[in-house]
Amino acid sequence: MPSSLFTDRRTATARLTAFTAVVIAVFGTLAVAFWYFQVVEGATYARMAENNHLRRLSVRAPRGVMFDRDGQLLVENRDAFTISILREHSAGLDQTIRRLSTVAGVDEQEIRETIRRHRGEPSYRPITVIDDATLAQVSAVLARRMTHELPGVVVARVPTRRYPSVGLGAHVLGYVGEVGEAQMSADGLRSGSVVGQSGVEKAYNGTLMGSDGERRVMVDSVGREISTLDEVPASEGRRVKLTIDYALQQAAEDAFHALGFEGAAVILDPRNGEVLALVSLPAYDPNDFAAGIDRATWSRLNTDRLRPLQNRAIQGRYSPGSTFKAVVAVAALEEGVITPDFTVTCRGGANFFGRFFQCHLKGGHGTVDLRHAIEKSCNTYFYTVGNMVGVDRINKWATALGLTGRTGIDLPNEGESLVPSTAWKKARTGERWYPGETISVSIGQGQVSVTPLALAAFYGAVGNGGIHYPPRLLKATNDGGGWRPVDQPPPQGVRLKPETIAALHDGLWMVVNGSGTGGRARVAGRDVSGKTGTAQVISLQGGRAAAGRTEMDLRDHGWFAFFAPRDNPEIAGVIFAEHGEHGSSAAPIARHVIETYFAKKEGTAYPVFTPPAVPAPPAAAPPASPAAGERR
Amino acid sequence: MIEPGEMFERRLYMHIDWLLLGAVYVLCALGVVMIYSAGGGSRLYLTQLAAIALGTVALLVCLAIDYRSLADRSHLIYGFLILLLVYVLLFGVVRGGGRRWIALPLFNLQPSEFMKIGLALVLAQLFGDGRRRAPNARDMAIGGALSALPLVLIARQPDLGTAATLVPVLLAVAFVAGMRLKVAGILLAVAIVAAPVVWSVALQDYQKGRILTFVNPSRDPLGAGYQQIQARITVGSGGLWGKGFMKGTQGQQGFLPVAHNDFIFSVLAEEQGFVGVLAVLGLYAFVVLRTIETARLARDRLGTMLVVGVLASFTFQVMYNVSMSAGLAPVKGLTLPLMSYGGSSVIATLAGVGLILNVRMRRFTN
Repeated sequence: MPSSLFTDRRTATARLTAFTAVVIAVFGTLAVAFWYFQVVEGATYARMAENNHLRRLSVRAPRGVMFDRDGQLLVENRDAFTISILREHSAGLDQTIRRLSTVAGVDEQEIRETIRRHRGEPSYRPITVIDDATLAQVSAVLARRMTHELPGVVVARVPTRRYPSVGLGAHVLGYVGEVGEAQMSADGLRSGSVVGQSGVEKAYNGTLMGSDGERRVMVDSVGREISTLDEVPASEGRRVKLTIDYALQQAAEDAFHALGFEGAAVILDPRNGEVLALVSLPAYDPNDFAAGIDRATWSRLNTDRLRPLQNRAIQGRYSPGSTFKAVVAVAALEEGVITPDFTVTCRGGANFFGRFFQCHLKGGHGTVDLRHAIEKSCNTYFYTVGNMVGVDRINKWATALGLTGRTGIDLPNEGESLVPSTAWKKARTGERWYPGETISVSIGQGQVSVTPLALAAFYGAVGNGGIHYPPRLLKATNDGGGWRPVDQPPPQGVRLKPETIAALHDGLWMVVNGSGTGGRARVAGRDVSGKTGTAQVISLQGGRAAAGRTEMDLRDHGWFAFFAPRDNPEIAGVIFAEHGEHGSSAAPIARHVIETYFAKKEGTAYPVFTPPAVPAPPAAAPPASPAAGERR
Repeated sequence: MIEPGEMFERRLYMHIDWLLLGAVYVLCALGVVMIYSAGGGSRLYLTQLAAIALGTVALLVCLAIDYRSLADRSHLIYGFLILLLVYVLLFGVVRGGGRRWIALPLFNLQPSEFMKIGLALVLAQLFGDGRRRAPNARDMAIGGALSALPLVLIARQPDLGTAATLVPVLLAVAFVAGMRLKVAGILLAVAIVAAPVVWSVALQDYQKGRILTFVNPSRDPLGAGYQQIQARITVGSGGLWGKGFMKGTQGQQGFLPVAHNDFIFSVLAEEQGFVGVLAVLGLYAFVVLRTIETARLARDRLGTMLVVGVLASFTFQVMYNVSMSAGLAPVKGLTLPLMSYGGSSVIATLAGVGLILNVRMRRFTN
């Protein structure tokens, strides 16, 4: 019988019952636990699982391509690779950073710094730590991803700006960069967006930017994309056609380089305000910014004494020197203070308010009328006339022809040009205007300071008979449905009296084609009319000029402002040669641009720039008396 | 004492526990389905099917020979398995940080899986030899030594998980054999006292790490804690009805490591939801409770002890693995019997089932 063989069956049975109880309790507990995880907390875990395998990837829209007025490509896009870290999956962020820095050969601190800057953002948003990664970096990272060594490290391909003609027109085109925090909140942009930071890139950022797309992708545990669930495609920014003429821009920059000058140039069409060329030198390479500028380059650009980031053409303010004499002439003629035949006898200077103001020609110009005074740039004549007109009327006519304040060009951070007035001085210093100050103003010195752009606009207005248009760079846009021209802004200015125009045009023509100072800008048959000028460096920089500056730094700046042809001009502009000493050194640059303009217009071969055979005349010693001495 | 083959008569068939057998094969089949799903198109499920076929042969062998004959030779079986374990330590195949396998032409054999059955047999023989008294200190010492030898060998591989499954075999058999509760209390006290010593002396750093990580998963969220966190997410995201066959994102895309193996239950929970979990838990509970009943019905003390010994490691593993698959226990390389991918595990488990059926089938025979 079984019971005889196994007498303690009751003990065993009791203990097996205890087993049964334990088993039921454990299985019951497990069932409850699973119910809790799967049913009660199910939604939470479902979301976590989704975060595991679903990623929203922003697809960056290519920015609009830029062309010059003839369709020559100025800015395009290329594909660049970025390497980003997704903190959501990088709980071992520290280790990931360390490994990534080793694998990609990047400074660990730099990665940490980048992540620190973005620490406030949601963790599912990738933080780009390497812009424009090299192919070696990309393949190194991709290889490590397979082995789960770099969790949460994402490689993406993004369209990136490319400026094919490196540095040409850099200040016009501008550069792009990651959106700043202030900009982000103001324009509702997403962190990491790339926006224009200067130039046309900034001015027309909204037009150029396009809208980013988004891709929802499924990834596996090592971050490999398995499939795309849905995609909102990115739409490219609008294409933009600038008023810039590539050939003229290049001609101007070539001439500057050939002569070894820094400086600025603005060339425009006086008939409509279209800017054909806008130069500021030294320039930078916008490509350096395209995929995020590195720290070293950025600090180099910012600490460079020559300030390559400054757009001298619209931000640099300089005393216009003798080019300002045209303003005094317009004011005097329009106000009826003088006629063109009004004469002054120059004996090398004159006394005003008990002080002697000298002319640049020691022996004097003798008796000159307005035309010859312009041609010879006679200071004595303009001291006299300026004194008769008074500073307020000079200011009035400078303003009427666009030489004060901002021209309104479609570029950011334009500087304000200043032509003083009694009211301005009262408001500024609380002091009254001394008539003696007007004498300096009459030859473009003293408080007068203008941007090359404003001066170009003024000379365009003079060439155009007083009517001018705000300078502009945008000619047309194209959102895929063909080129749509930009509306022409309404004309500004005043129609000048015919005799004013005639006298000015004659005088300015004689500067170039007579025995004046602008002979180097002469182009046979083109009736170039213009005016040289010198902006004094010593008086501008005063005492601090001496310390740590080379002789070159102390040389004056040379101006040449012009329009051509004399009647119904098609082209006007300003050349500003930094430390060019005097205007005649700027004139050859203007000549090269003008020749190029007409060669292009008439379909003949472009000229090759030839520097003047004779070096620029040596500088005269700076005038001794403080407020005196415009030399040409 | 050997039951001749003829003894396996027709009437014995009538006493085969078809319900238990059915539940076991349903679990095996579910395992194959889940392995197919988690394997992401690999041929692992075919290997598993082959293992089940081999396991069925083992089951039939363990069923055919009277368990009493087997128990009589348990010392031989035990000794042979010990030799295999020693061989593994010396010449075994290293994989995944452990020297656990013997390379065979078709698959790698993991002797530690079979040791559970061997230990159950030898302990059943020790505690179930028909004596009427409760096990005394000498019995406990012999049983402890018989358990400790393979435990140490397996732990040296190192495979702490499988080694640990030997402990419940000894405890359960001794307990059912009538071990005094006082002795059980002393053992418990010793265990508590010994724990810190084991912690500082016997455990390796990675083993300590796993336990620490279990207490605080965020300690190492991409290492050991990662599996635990991902296991919980996998299970939880399954919800009530599951994501559907082959549609689990966690198991399919590798967020859950060794999904087809140690975490097969998590895959089930993800794809079949709480409903699937309840069904499978129910099947396992049925298998366990039905086996306890078999132990109770056994014709002799030896049969009871054998069933309890086999059941102990099985139940321990099911409970541990299911807890682990929901992130409720530290991650250990412990398979889910019958469902997890693994040839040795399946074959050894089915052999154990054969022993259980054997005892039940022969409860009326002499």
